[in-house]
Amino acid sequence: MQQPTYYEEVLRKGYSRRDFLKFATMMAAFMGLEGTAIGQVAKALETRRRLPVIWLHFQECTCCSESFIRSSHPIVADILLDQISLDYTETLMAASGFQAEAAMRDTIKRYNGEYILCVEGSVPMEADGVYCMIGGKTAMQVLEEAAEGAKAIIAWGSCACSGCVQAAKPNPTSATPIHKLVKGKPIIKVPGCPPIGEVMAGVIVHLVTFDRIPELDNLGRPKAFYSKRVHDTCYRRPFYDAGLYVESFDDENAKKGYCLYKMGCKGPVTYNACGVTKWNGGTSFPIQSGHGCIGCSEENYWDNGRLYERASSFAGFGIESTADKIGAIALGATTAALLGHAVMTNVRKHKMIYDLEEEGRADEQQLNAEP
Amino acid sequence: MSKRIVVDPVTRIEGHLRIEAEISDGRIKDAYSSGTMVRLLEEILRGRDPRDAWAFVGRVCGVCTSIHSLTSVRTVEDALGIVIPPNAELVRNIMDCALFMHDHVVHFYHLHAMDWVDVVNALKADPKKTSEIAQSISHWPKSSPGYFSDLQARIKKFVDSGQLGIFSNGYWGHPAYKLPAEINLIGLAHYLEALEWQKEIVKVQAIFGGKNPHPNYLVGGMACSIGLDDVSGINAERLALVEQLLHEGKTFIEQVYLPDLKAIASYYKDWGAIGGGLGNYMVYGDLPFNGYRDPASYKFPSGVILNKDLSKVLDVDLRKDDEVQEFVTHSWYDYAEGDQKGLHPWVGESKVRYTGPKPPFQFLDTEQKYSYIKTPRWKGHAMEVGPLARVLVGYARGREEYKEAVDGLLKDLDVPVTALFSTLGRTAARGLEASLVSRWGLDFYYQLISNIKSGDTRMANMEKFNPDTWPAKALGVGHAEAPRGALAHWINIDSGRIANYQLVVPTTWNASPRDASGQLSAYESALIGTPVIDENQPLEILRTVHSFDPCLACAVH
Amino acid sequence: MKKKYLHIHRLRRVYVWELPVRFYHWLNAASIIALIITGFYIANPLALVSHQEAAFRYTTGWVRFIHFAAAYIFFFNFLFRIYWGFVGNKYAGWKQFIPTSKRFFREMWQVFKIDILMLKGKEYMSVGHNAMAGLIYFFTFIAFGIQCLTGFGLYSVTSRWWLPRLFAWVPSVLGGESMTRQIHHWTMWFFILFVVIHVYLVFYHDYIEGRGEMSSMGGGWKFIEEEAFIKDHNDEL
Ligand code: HEM
Ligand code: HEM
Ligand code: NFV
Ligand code: SF4
Ligand code: SF4
Ligand code: F3S
Ligand SMILES: [Mg+2]
Repeated sequence: MQQPTYYEEVLRKGYSRRDFLKFATMMAAFMGLEGTAIGQVAKALETRRRLPVIWLHFQECTCCSESFIRSSHPIVADILLDQISLDYTETLMAASGFQAEAAMRDTIKRYNGEYILCVEGSVPMEADGVYCMIGGKTAMQVLEEAAEGAKAIIAWGSCACSGCVQAAKPNPTSATPIHKLVKGKPIIKVPGCPPIGEVMAGVIVHLVTFDRIPELDNLGRPKAFYSKRVHDTCYRRPFYDAGLYVESFDDENAKKGYCLYKMGCKGPVTYNACGVTKWNGGTSFPIQSGHGCIGCSEENYWDNGRLYERASSFAGFGIESTADKIGAIALGATTAALLGHAVMTNVRKHKMIYDLEEEGRADEQQLNAEP
Repeated sequence: MSKRIVVDPVTRIEGHLRIEAEISDGRIKDAYSSGTMVRLLEEILRGRDPRDAWAFVGRVCGVCTSIHSLTSVRTVEDALGIVIPPNAELVRNIMDCALFMHDHVVHFYHLHAMDWVDVVNALKADPKKTSEIAQSISHWPKSSPGYFSDLQARIKKFVDSGQLGIFSNGYWGHPAYKLPAEINLIGLAHYLEALEWQKEIVKVQAIFGGKNPHPNYLVGGMACSIGLDDVSGINAERLALVEQLLHEGKTFIEQVYLPDLKAIASYYKDWGAIGGGLGNYMVYGDLPFNGYRDPASYKFPSGVILNKDLSKVLDVDLRKDDEVQEFVTHSWYDYAEGDQKGLHPWVGESKVRYTGPKPPFQFLDTEQKYSYIKTPRWKGHAMEVGPLARVLVGYARGREEYKEAVDGLLKDLDVPVTALFSTLGRTAARGLEASLVSRWGLDFYYQLISNIKSGDTRMANMEKFNPDTWPAKALGVGHAEAPRGALAHWINIDSGRIANYQLVVPTTWNASPRDASGQLSAYESALIGTPVIDENQPLEILRTVHSFDPCLACAVH
Repeated sequence: MKKKYLHIHRLRRVYVWELPVRFYHWLNAASIIALIITGFYIANPLALVSHQEAAFRYTTGWVRFIHFAAAYIFFFNFLFRIYWGFVGNKYAGWKQFIPTSKRFFREMWQVFKIDILMLKGKEYMSVGHNAMAGLIYFFTFIAFGIQCLTGFGLYSVTSRWWLPRLFAWVPSVLGGESMTRQIHHWTMWFFILFVVIHVYLVFYHDYIEGRGEMSSMGGGWKFIEEEAFIKDHNDEL
């Protein structure tokens, strides 16, 4: 339910508008504001109903915004009209250019300490930050300005949480996630490439409805959506446990919906809500549509090995060099070395025996006898 | 006296676009388009497994999501000589149609409409009159007076709250807004309806690709097996959902998008003479009815039109090293052999070096390099790509469906065919295309059903999936028509790994800076001559730029 | 030249491996072998194209169960061995494993010369492990630790018991579960190589030195040269 504004609350309790203005004056004085600001305070108290939100875009592909607008409960129209005031987002806002920047500045000033800052995308730190510029400023400059007065920050998607694809090796632009750049603010990480629309909406709704940050895990992710592995909520899990696997895409086993583990599925190492919440209003999720999970909500998932292999391969050892291959080669080499060593040992021992025999002893039995 | 104005950020697009324009006597004299964000995915792809490339390049863009992945698997399949089963072709096409329907509708209502529709003015509309107009232009059921008055009340409450949210600081009341309040209200109503509808059509992609944005693709076919007798595969229930979604999508486009487009366009016919620009159009072709390798079966025929000459359509060859080339004369990159030369993407380079002003800055030095977008050229010509190019090439090739659609629209609006070479033409072509694609989506769907019915349930060809079966070296190129235009990727595979991967993307063509010989690209050239009534509210710049549907993450990648 | 071998030593029976160490050793060996076999299967499950319903099979489930059961045995056994490193006899003591003295390094050099380069040198310094073996066991113990950390780190999310939950922080420190699993997997190869070399060396020492090395992990006794024993005894004093 919607929170009434202070003004509505005051009227409900039987006070007049005069009383309300007095209260506002007192509040302004209490907050150490000048006389001219009283009107603003009154206005803020009178009309503050929707949570002000600034949504920044840096190095990203806008899939997070796209995912957000696909939320089916609540639908995004309701979030935008009733729950939050999305005062800045390059994807949807009407204003452009300096009017857009003015809208952001306005919110930063008017709602200092109250607005939520959402960040989609990573910040490039290489070359003094010139790889992402908005309105002639670097992404870092924009972020600093907007983070200063934010009540909390939501890092949308794997880009903002861990750098995502542009931070994959060799990370040529030094794409950097938000938590490494902003200190001293609560940061809610909502990883995924993109995160599920309903999860994004869920985080916003939690903030608005309960007026506090959802409980986070030790990595800063809302526990509600990121405390289980895809593998633990996957409907193909019985096939995994049974030892029934797809051996090649579109084989008989694939048609029967067996487990995709051997196709490189990263579900066993990925924390996300896909198996339960699913995607696009519960229509499907990657595994349901026959492709393994690629681990899109995990840190640096682009460098956690190839998509269709379970084990990661090593650069410089040729394309198929997994740990097992290198291990097998090492095992072969070790066995060969030990065989060589064994041969030498035999030679040595025979020499030893020969030397002893030379001393006139018949066999090893006499070795222990007193000379 | 000319004055330079800056629009940065250009909003209601994907990504980071900056426009600088010289204005004199109320018109744009010169214009500069700059992409201001770079991620260097082409560098990141080096040394990786070609089979994984679709996932990386899929993340180039979450708006035209899936199109880069599709192009990537085609590129790798081309390099390795993999032919995919017909069902996989059809599924890819159906997903592609869903993307087009989604992307075009979202562009029209959520990215472009506010250039034409005055949201605040909608409050002045008479709901009864609005209802009459709505019912006169469409069968769409949500059109009662009560519906519109409820909506109006909701918006009024919203505006009265003083928190305008995404509508704050818009150019409301600007004299270039010409629609009657009632049409503004219809536009606003459908803004919200489209917001709700768009999340439905993408379910088509979720069914076959597991999620949207960023559905999954597979080199060799698709991963979604057909399992008619299993709950896990593509079975009758899944297929029925696809069919229903495609039908609903087609209905929405025919009963909401097209009528709105025509109604709005009829008030802005002057824009049929503004924003034409280059007059060169290029299409690579896509939506194969008989497999990707049979271009004759493409629903989007390929070809090039030069100088608005619809009587001649030239052919494109992406493999020839003198056709498609990229220049960096005005882009923040260095080429090993100097910045005046163009490079074919198979030998393309992406070595970035920023030489612009130190941020924070007020203006770019547009005499020098001024963008992260490279400048592609076809046989030296600047090209416009996108829905308008496709509609014109289809029309010039004499394809019946195109002729019918185009002639119908021209008749409805009572404008000559030359009105298509304009900002309005671009926006209208997108709508026509959406409606054609919504029909084809169902055609592909029924083809898929008849294939399955005849016993063919193959969905992937895995014969060459194992890198051991690959040649030591291979070159490949794959193309597609993205919602914003002609898209191609080039790959060079060496010993099972990516040695070079280059993307030349629709918005790279359209939004690029000028080339070595000073020729402008599509945005810049279309902006020249555009009137600007109020320099502080450059609504007209947005109209023309938005008509291209910019995607900057695509353009730079 | 021949004279050298005229010094034949008097051998002395020494009780080197106490029963708890021997018990620990074989339990450890058995659990590690079980962990390697099941771990290998977890990493590369066999193709079992069966017509049975999933509901009637639990192959990977059982393999994982054995892995986890062996893991617990392995873990507590390891803890016990650490404890015994402080209370056991001097051959079991922690000083045997950690290079703390010059003597340790001198002996390692000796072992290297004799056993690997096969040169002649001053022999028979140690009674329990030689220094080289001790250091390698030290590395092995570190590998035990890595395997327990990464293993229980992976296991923690599926468990409600506080003990595995103690390790829940591990994956986040290592950069995610994917990396944790990779490390867990790579470390398996250390064990495979260790077992092969270790078993070979036990044979080797027995073969060349004739001190009863092979059977020592059975009965606990080794046959040690009188001088070596006395020197070892004095060194410790
Ligand atoms: C010598 C000791 C061990 C060896 C050689 C070993 C080996 C392995 C291997 C090779 C894997 C498969 C990794 C992959 O995905 O490629 C594995 C998985 C695993 N191991 Fe171990 N392991 C050892 C000890 C432990 C211990 C002490 C634990 C503690 C609980 C443990 C828990 C696990 C778990 C939880 C998995 C993941 C299994 C799954 O989720 O299905 N392991 N192990
Ligand atoms: C899986 C197989 C095995 C593993 C993991 C293993 C592990 C170990 C470890 C950790 C130690 C150090 C003991 C300590 O002081 O705590 C050790 C010592 C020893 N092991 Fe094993 N062992 C294995 C198999 C064997 C076998 C098959 C034999 C003999 C037949 C053997 C004989 C010995 C002996 C004699 C020692 C004392 C070594 C010395 O002083 O150098 N082990 N083993
Ligand atoms: N330009 C572009 Fe795309 C499209 N349509 C790419 O291929 O938008 Ni993101
Ligand atoms: S997290 Fe993924 S989906 Fe979101 S913006 Fe980044 S690349 Fe796009
Ligand atoms: S398909 Fe993936 S997530 Fe599902 S059970 Fe198999 S391995 Fe786990
Ligand atoms: S790839 Fe991502 S969408 Fe879910 S199933 Fe895996 S976390
Ligand atoms: Mg490129």
